[in-house]
Amino acid sequence: MKKVLFLAVKEMRVLLSNKGNVFFVFGFPVIFALFFGTIFSSSGEGPTGMKIAVVDEDNSDFSASYISRLQSNEALNIITPDRDRAIEQVRKGNISAAVIIKKGFGDGFDAMFNSEESKLEIAADPSRRMEGGYLQGILAKAQFEALSDKFTDKNWMRRQIQLWRDDVEDANGLDVKQSNLFLDLFNSLDNLVADSNSEIYEAGFDGEILNFSQINVNREYEGPVTSFQITFPQAMLWGIFSCAATFAISIVKERSGGTFQRLLVGPVGRAHILAGKGTACFATCIVIICILYISARLIFKMPIGNQLLFVLASLCTILCFVGLMMFICTLGRTEESAGSAGWAMLMIMAMLGGGMVPLAFMPVWMRPFSHISPVKWGIYALEGAIWRNLSFVEMTKPLVILLAIGATAFMFGISMLRRQDK
Amino acid sequence: MIKVENLKKRFGKTVALDNVSFEAMKGEIFGLLGPNGAGKTTMIKLLCGLLKADSGTITLDGRTNPRLVEVRMSLGMVPQALAIYEELSARENLQFFGRMYGLKGQYLKKRVKNCLELAGLSERSQERAGNYSGGMKRRLNMVCSFLHEPPILLLDEPTVGVDPQSRNLIFETIENMKIQGRIIIYTTHYMEEAQRLCDRVAILDHGKTLDIDSVENLITKHGGPSHIEAEFEDKIIDPDKIRLFIENDNIIFEETKIRFQTDQPMESLAKLNRSGLHFRSLKVQTANLEDVFLNITGRRLRD
Repeated sequence: MKKVLFLAVKEMRVLLSNKGNVFFVFGFPVIFALFFGTIFSSSGEGPTGMKIAVVDEDNSDFSASYISRLQSNEALNIITPDRDRAIEQVRKGNISAAVIIKKGFGDGFDAMFNSEESKLEIAADPSRRMEGGYLQGILAKAQFEALSDKFTDKNWMRRQIQLWRDDVEDANGLDVKQSNLFLDLFNSLDNLVADSNSEIYEAGFDGEILNFSQINVNREYEGPVTSFQITFPQAMLWGIFSCAATFAISIVKERSGGTFQRLLVGPVGRAHILAGKGTACFATCIVIICILYISARLIFKMPIGNQLLFVLASLCTILCFVGLMMFICTLGRTEESAGSAGWAMLMIMAMLGGGMVPLAFMPVWMRPFSHISPVKWGIYALEGAIWRNLSFVEMTKPLVILLAIGATAFMFGISMLRRQDK
Repeated sequence: MIKVENLKKRFGKTVALDNVSFEAMKGEIFGLLGPNGAGKTTMIKLLCGLLKADSGTITLDGRTNPRLVEVRMSLGMVPQALAIYEELSARENLQFFGRMYGLKGQYLKKRVKNCLELAGLSERSQERAGNYSGGMKRRLNMVCSFLHEPPILLLDEPTVGVDPQSRNLIFETIENMKIQGRIIIYTTHYMEEAQRLCDRVAILDHGKTLDIDSVENLITKHGGPSHIEAEFEDKIIDPDKIRLFIENDNIIFEETKIRFQTDQPMESLAKLNRSGLHFRSLKVQTANLEDVFLNITGRRLRD
């Protein structure tokens, strides 16, 4: 045991002697959490300042009112070039989309709800589909709001009602009974609009046309949810990542150098050496988690739902990646090959597990693959303890999966190492 | 004593060692001389238990399993690759490896101090090994194996890429170890090193032992004749006068020079001296291990 500790201390000394390692292992995760935490501090409100072009070919009062509605939306940053220029800007990727308001857009209900000939065209950047979808929602909302303005215009409303009455009277397919029914309805509606108090009528609808309320899905936990609660689990994962990769490369370095052989010739077994590496990696990961925990608690006042579960989640995630470290070191015989292969593997795990791109952005067929990524389970376990407020039973699943992945990778790594050294 | 009997080792289809046998005694430097790929490093790895032989036996001081802890404690291996931590200082490296061998307290301190002196690194012991010159790193690499004072030393090409000054220091250290009665196995492909250091040499090629003997005997057996070139003050007018003294059919005469090969160079030189001719210069090139290797294998050591 003493020898394992000596080995672990030596590993820590070697790690600390390299400023690059110190930065990537200890500094990078903190910077990651701060940077993305600050960026996403308004997360949940959707993208802001999305640059789009609006081309008004209708030039009606309604289209002007519609554009003014869009301009008042903080999520959008609107420019108004001509059609060709707008589409060119989308093609070049300078703007997210171009919205073209075609002639006849302000001609009333018929124009607006005519499904055969749309009066709004959207040219969206195919690489920014999420933003495109978000934009369609904003456009629909603005259209309804512009329409609600029209409803408050008595004369416009009565002209619309007259147009509907004319349509019903001209319709040949309707029998007399049905025709009279519609005409009675429109007459009553016209009387209502004509006789209503102008002041009350023009006050319009109370509140927003499309208004959503949110249900708090946090179970029991009543403290504030900050963006740092989202970014810190990811930062912890990145810290553990860097650490596992660094120690994996150090094993390869020892094997390709001669120190591994020198130690093996001495009264130290392969198990001692690897246990020393594992202990050092584990201890370093603990230090990383502690640094992030302390900065999260003291500087950002980040609440942690369940401290005990947080410790458990951290330990299981670290053990998982210590196991993976043992596997990564067998991926190449030189530092360069093992480093590249190790980082590639970790990157794929991070991508699949939502460490780089949110799972929601992935194609549906790809999402089940996230289950094989320890990153997903690591983040889920840490989030479970920090803000999801999972119960101990609910936490069992991610924790057991993490330990199983770690143990499998460890055993596989050790057996590969033995085979390679023969 | 180290005793190796009929050792065989294959890596797939490649035969690394084929029926190798030798013995090395206390106070002896035993050389394994051969070109790259001859099987020298494989032999060292088998001796220290890093590899397992396909057949044959190794006996180290009466014990046949090199993986036993007590056997490993009696070994000191200097690997061909630099087996030091460049991020740590020389002192930290020595302390770490010392602790791995179970050294502690005052004894560890004393051994670290001795080894630093031996490597000529006392003054720069606190400096990161990564900043050392190639020679300093090699010296540190070597003394890390002496910390626990092992009776058996296995040195695998310890002077690769070393400056002449460091090389001499390494040679002196090895010679001191020999005087202290240790068994030293020394692999090299530099015949000058084998000639200077080794009491006996095994010539290896393609995993086979071509011969084992002292350097002198190997040269006598396989080195071939010495080459003599003599230049006289005056032009040689009567070659027959020289032939009276040197009984050799293959003497080459040039204006003032003669060249010939002989198995007894000293005897030939004495006879020439009695001829009364005045020498301007005399060159005697005796055979060496390079010639031995060339004559046995038909190739040069560095081919």
